[in-house]
Amino acid sequence: MTHSLHRRGNFEELKDDFVVLGCPATGINKAGSSPKTQKFLSICYKNGPINLGDMKTGNIYNTTMDVILGNMTDSTIVQCTFDNREKIVQLLKDLKEDKPGISVIISGVSDVVQQCMEEAGLGRIHTIEYSLGTWGQTERLPHFEILKTTTMCGHAMISSDLVYKMVRDVKRGRRTIEDACLELSKCCTCGNYNITRGIKLFKELIPLYMVHSLY
Amino acid sequence: MKADQDKCIACKRCFPYCPMGRIQIFKKHENIPGRVYIEIDQERCTDCGVCLRANICPVKALFQPEMIWPREVRGILSNPLIEFKGSQVPGRGTEEMKTNDVSGRFGTGEVGVGIELGRPGIGAYFKDVEKVAMALMGGDIGYELAAENPVTHFMSDKTTGKLRDDVLNEKATSAIIEGKCKIEKLPEALKILEKVAKAVDTVFTVEVITKVPPEGEIPVKPILEKLGVWYSINTKNNMGLGEPAFKFYEDK
Repeated sequence: MTHSLHRRGNFEELKDDFVVLGCPATGINKAGSSPKTQKFLSICYKNGPINLGDMKTGNIYNTTMDVILGNMTDSTIVQCTFDNREKIVQLLKDLKEDKPGISVIISGVSDVVQQCMEEAGLGRIHTIEYSLGTWGQTERLPHFEILKTTTMCGHAMISSDLVYKMVRDVKRGRRTIEDACLELSKCCTCGNYNITRGIKLFKELIPLYMVHSLY
Repeated sequence: MKADQDKCIACKRCFPYCPMGRIQIFKKHENIPGRVYIEIDQERCTDCGVCLRANICPVKALFQPEMIWPREVRGILSNPLIEFKGSQVPGRGTEEMKTNDVSGRFGTGEVGVGIELGRPGIGAYFKDVEKVAMALMGGDIGYELAAENPVTHFMSDKTTGKLRDDVLNEKATSAIIEGKCKIEKLPEALKILEKVAKAVDTVFTVEVITKVPPEGEIPVKPILEKLGVWYSINTKNNMGLGEPAFKFYEDK
């Protein structure tokens, strides 16, 4: 499962974009892990994520924290999205101090994540996964500017047509940019959509399209 | 996913939510003169459920019919809310590197290679998934499939990567092949993928996983750089905080 790995963008666009996951291991520490996952989520919540969710329940923009906590089981994988490097450093310090016991994974620019770990006194990354990009019939993909938004949901639940529609709605005065990004975030059940980055990307999209060329 | 023809008013509000694009057509109601409804192309729909979850239909016409084999593989792979019982993980893949700090799944000298077909936003038929799986398994690189991965479960021959015939024409939003091989076989694995990329009618993302040693260079980086293979600055990183920690190295 690699849904937080293939986010598109350059260093400037990705340096403040982090997805933090808490994952128990089947056959090792999964049995009875629900309280540990709750503890992990509480520590994350205290540090101010911009989005969070559990893919089987939803994210904080389409459900509530109480529902997410209430639906938690031993197989729940929770995910919190952060838009700020300093919060990640503090989060890692807190997790080092009070280990929840489940595996913790952070998707982000590897150099930045490594720096955060060092500042938190955690040493080196344990295991790393690289994206080697998209291969095959890449001419079928939407524009790169659209992909930057849609790839924030690694399950591909944010359609490029919906991004076009939101741009059109904003241009016609039917929605604000913030409303449009909230609508996009609702489609990404896991809570991986970074609304702060989403708003920045959306502002860049607005001048690229004319209303009649959109969905 | 289907739209109830007696409820649907063809307002088109659900159209842009579909990750597979414009897969709906207008139909005339058989019994109500002048009434138009939309029909979702069942061949192209992957049962991901995003249109239903968006709660956008003003007359609640969208519904997910019960899925029977082999169509049910669409929902298993495409709807992130459905947990595949074989992997015990919601979503399309496995725990892979996420729990490597406690499982030791990817040891020193090994590299995880994952290929996710159909992503982002194109979708993939299992006949293309089979092409990639068979190319890797036939490549004599010792590629070891992840046993708990849903695609592995759909194989009729796990030694060749052959999928069951009845799933070949099914489609998923994306389907991921997961496995590992020795790190020295990575160049050959990537060469195989480069070749098969020309034979599939979709896109796929490629990812590689490696244990980071306590000191020194990350083992796959010089290999990728020597091959001239692009890799993203954005990575997924296991923090090593899981307990009990897997012992990768002998205690000194």
